[in-house]
Amino acid sequence: MTAGSRILAGTRIRPRLRGRELGLLTVVAVTVAIGSVSLAATQDLVAGAPPFSGGSFLADQVALVAYLGSLFLAHLVFVLSGRRTDQVLLPTVGLLGGISLLLMERLPQDLVGGLGLGRNQLLWLLASIALMTAIGAIVRSDAWLRLYKYTWAVLGVGLLLLTFALGHDINGQRLALTIGPLTGQPSELLKVILVVFLAGYLSENRPLLMDESTNIGPLRLPPLPYLAPMIAMWAMALSIVVVQGDLGAALLFFAVFLTLLYVATARASFVALGMVAFVAGGFVLYQAVPHVRVRVDIWLDPFVTASTTGYQVVQALHAFARGGILGTGFGAGLPAVGGLPPGGIPALHTDFPFAALGEELGLVGVMGILGLYLVVIERGLRIAASAADDFRAILAAGLSLVIGVQAFIIAAGNLKLIPLTGITLPFISYGGSSLLANGVVMGLLIALSDRGVEPPPAPGRRSGRFRLQDRGAA
Amino acid sequence: MDATVLAIWLLRLLFLGGLYLFLWSVVRVLLRDLRAAAREPGTELGRLVVISSPSAEPAVGASFSLDAVTTLGRDVNATILLDDEFVSGLHAALTYRGRTWYVEDLGSTNGSYVNGSRVEGVAAAAFGDELQLGNVRLRLERPRR
Repeated sequence: MTAGSRILAGTRIRPRLRGRELGLLTVVAVTVAIGSVSLAATQDLVAGAPPFSGGSFLADQVALVAYLGSLFLAHLVFVLSGRRTDQVLLPTVGLLGGISLLLMERLPQDLVGGLGLGRNQLLWLLASIALMTAIGAIVRSDAWLRLYKYTWAVLGVGLLLLTFALGHDINGQRLALTIGPLTGQPSELLKVILVVFLAGYLSENRPLLMDESTNIGPLRLPPLPYLAPMIAMWAMALSIVVVQGDLGAALLFFAVFLTLLYVATARASFVALGMVAFVAGGFVLYQAVPHVRVRVDIWLDPFVTASTTGYQVVQALHAFARGGILGTGFGAGLPAVGGLPPGGIPALHTDFPFAALGEELGLVGVMGILGLYLVVIERGLRIAASAADDFRAILAAGLSLVIGVQAFIIAAGNLKLIPLTGITLPFISYGGSSLLANGVVMGLLIALSDRGVEPPPAPGRRSGRFRLQDRGAA
Repeated sequence: MDATVLAIWLLRLLFLGGLYLFLWSVVRVLLRDLRAAAREPGTELGRLVVISSPSAEPAVGASFSLDAVTTLGRDVNATILLDDEFVSGLHAALTYRGRTWYVEDLGSTNGSYVNGSRVEGVAAAAFGDELQLGNVRLRLERPRR
């Protein structure tokens, strides 16, 4: 170990073996390699040549070796860092990313510029895993998140306003923001900031939020000033829909907010109130915003407009139907997957990877993939349950739920279970912002799971002072 | 040709098999982890959360981790200090015997109450029950794991 890392940690770092992680990573590597062989053979067969005539047994050797190598390198870094962190999250993310890599190699490469779909995705995946590993191995204190929660909130609101003002539109939704050479989707970063802020706010004001001093009809509510952030969140979600036309981010933010409120207070009345506000807001938006009305009408009956606005959803349903139980196999879906050439499903690589996987891996495959997201949620809630204090518990629950809820919203949208909203499927969809933000989320979750971590910073005094002030004001 | 199609079909199933093998091994790890957590002797047996308190000590919302024997009172020697003028020096004791919590009044002036009924000698208390000593109201909660 270098002198620098020793000073950083305060103590000598002793490597610690991580057997479970290594075992699970081996299963991941074998599975992804089999997928790659299967893809290569199928692609040759579809092209009319005998299998493996391309001279290689793998679909893209370089990409596969680079990706799997990065996973084992991440494992090595975790071993050397010597922390007792979670051993399941890295392999789970690794398998999701591996499936993503195979899918992006298999889709038409000219969907994006640069090095092509597969290679671009490979680079983003490597960056995401590097970020996750760095945060998971280095971050030992959460004070920088805990103490500056209002700074983070201001940063988040600033980012949102910047997008409102300077963002440019993609398919009628103001999603992308360009600053200098950097282009990204701020909503992905915003979701991380939101979880950090909510964890800080809710853990500090938990006792006050659980107070029941205001009565409105049958509802018993906390003191009204403490409902202000709840109303602010609701307004923020509405403004994202109205100004940006971004239904997915609004739904994700509001769902995560309500879930965390419930996690922190265990009060069902908050959830009920939030749902009522959601339904009321949704009804008004349906009447007022044409974009929302189109989405809901497609959801109610996509076949009426099957060749225009409903085209995407109808093609996705056909793709699921073609996949059946076992799927057509990697590479054997219809040419563009999910439709006739030249169309396929529009925005397949970002919004509809779940439909593509439904066609090629079938019901069995997508159930397995949903299982992987369940594993992430289980680990997050387990980390939350054994966390040292409220802030860490709410943060861990929030970080895992933001991934789970996002996966649910887009998977359900693909399946026409709820109106379609354009957000990414975590770790599978194509896109740098999404992969990097989710890498940060997973890195923080791994850092939080450390059992030998230092105790939370000075409990009591700070929050005690605030509580006295609050009582004085009331 | 038929052999290659069969081989590719097997490869497809093998990939799905790998996916489920991974899930199965993860579930095994998770189950072992959960069982270990359930068997692990918890360092605390229960918690006392302050619901209302007129003074600053203890503060509302404060949570105390409980040992097998915990005394409450205004005396500095009490395990949990309740700085309230209607609380006696050594007011009450909480003891964990068998698998149940018991509240014992230690001859206090104003009495101890479990869910509003006065404790005569010793009374059993379950998780979620509310204790009142003087003006201080506390709730007995299950230990955090």
